[in-house]
Amino acid sequence: MKVTVVSRSGREVVKGGIHLSDSATVADLQEAIHKQTKKYPSRQRLTLPVQPGSKERPVVLNYKKSLQDYTSGNSDSLTVVFKDLGPQVSYRTLFFCEYLGPLLLYPVFYYFPVYQYFGYKGERVIHPVQTYALYYWCFHYAKRILETFFVHRFSHATSPLSNVFRNCAYYWTFGSYIAYYMNHPLYTPVNDLQMKIGFGFGILCQISNFYCHIILKNLRSPGGEGGYQIPKGFLFNIVTCANYTTEIYQWLGFNIATQTVAGYIFLAVATFIMTNWALAKHRRLKKLFDGKEGRPRYPRRWIILPPFL
Amino acid sequence: MAGFFSLLRRIYLSLYNWTVLFGWCQVLYFVLKTLNESGHEHVYEAAEKSLLFAQTAAVLEILHGLVGLVRSPITATLPQISSRLFLTWGILWSFPETRSHVLVTSLLISWSITEIIRYSFFGFKETFGFTPSWLLWLRYSSFLVLYPTGISSEVGLIYIALPFIKASEKYCIRMPNKWNSSFDYFYAAIAAMGIYIPGSPHMYTYMLAQRKKALSKSKRE
Repeated sequence: MKVTVVSRSGREVVKGGIHLSDSATVADLQEAIHKQTKKYPSRQRLTLPVQPGSKERPVVLNYKKSLQDYTSGNSDSLTVVFKDLGPQVSYRTLFFCEYLGPLLLYPVFYYFPVYQYFGYKGERVIHPVQTYALYYWCFHYAKRILETFFVHRFSHATSPLSNVFRNCAYYWTFGSYIAYYMNHPLYTPVNDLQMKIGFGFGILCQISNFYCHIILKNLRSPGGEGGYQIPKGFLFNIVTCANYTTEIYQWLGFNIATQTVAGYIFLAVATFIMTNWALAKHRRLKKLFDGKEGRPRYPRRWIILPPFL
Repeated sequence: MAGFFSLLRRIYLSLYNWTVLFGWCQVLYFVLKTLNESGHEHVYEAAEKSLLFAQTAAVLEILHGLVGLVRSPITATLPQISSRLFLTWGILWSFPETRSHVLVTSLLISWSITEIIRYSFFGFKETFGFTPSWLLWLRYSSFLVLYPTGISSEVGLIYIALPFIKASEKYCIRMPNKWNSSFDYFYAAIAAMGIYIPGSPHMYTYMLAQRKKALSKSKRE
């Protein structure tokens, strides 16, 4: 089989094309392109050409499929459009970097005398809630890192290198911003009952969130195959993105217990980001599971935050 | 029904643009008149009412963009209006010590000429359905000079205001408080100056691209 590899502007990316056996897979093609172009497979985006003027989204080649699946009738030649996605990092690497910042930076504000550099000399009295907040915060990010390495099953996907800088800026900046106020010498605690309710609710939601991640992991096989399934069980029966729901409520618990404007701003931004993800995921699942051709129909569910959305 | 709303939109936008245009003409008039009669120290005082009116009215333009009444992307209008409101209310109105500085004159002249051209450009478009070619040229060329002069005046005035901001403690929130929050207007003003570093090239190159698009389109017609 001869595969012609072109760029989106029509220029041949691999001169003379690539010759593979008829039973070759897309993964084989990607390896061959890698040899010719030095661009490793995770940076290659291969699509079937679309008719000029067509509004349809191009078909992206799946690395597991054989090339035969994409030739229509004329089975000994195929044209694919190549796009370089730029340097890629694995999701594991990305998540580890972004979560390490908050895990390490927050304790700096708690343990070290940083506030003297902001003009606050003298002794610092540490309130119990500040100590509990430290434990809660560090537990949260340690949990996230452990989930990244031992729970989450990432499909073949990687993320552009630029996202490392963007995501680390987000997590590390907000982490420092919240840590600054939480451990401030002039921090004012809320009353004891409010603190207990906040942390108690938060811990409950973190445990629920962990269970949601276990359920999501079990939807996929160890190789990361599995694509999309209808999530079932526990809170997923009523909410599509129960994992985001529990994450948002977990931060709400933290803020009820600790009461800082910085923490609430973080909650608002995180909710906004996760809501956008949830809307996209819900839409995708509804489209995929439309009830036609033997596929199940996606059930009526809340998207992310009952009773609002 | 659609035709009715389109007409309503045109009437509303015409009224808006001509009204605010009048405000900026007043600003320029009072600035030049005062320069001639008394000197740059009194320029703010003379133009204040018209300035506060005309510049604050521009907040409506964010609304216009959001509801789709006009085509301008909010990424261009928001930074522009933010810097204007910050200078007008956050610096000049809040810190009277800055008002006698000569940069106020360069600021108001840059702003008023830019806005007179801009509002008459849109006023013509909405009311008459076209703009005279010389006005189109002015709209997409005057920024080449007026953006640098205006931006320098803005940054300069923020810098001039800094000692007064620090001394006055105005708009500052101090710890301790029950929301465990703080705000220091002095450092926020310095941060605002910092935003001009990436912000100005962004706005300038945006206008350069708009200029290319607008002036080549009119050549082809």
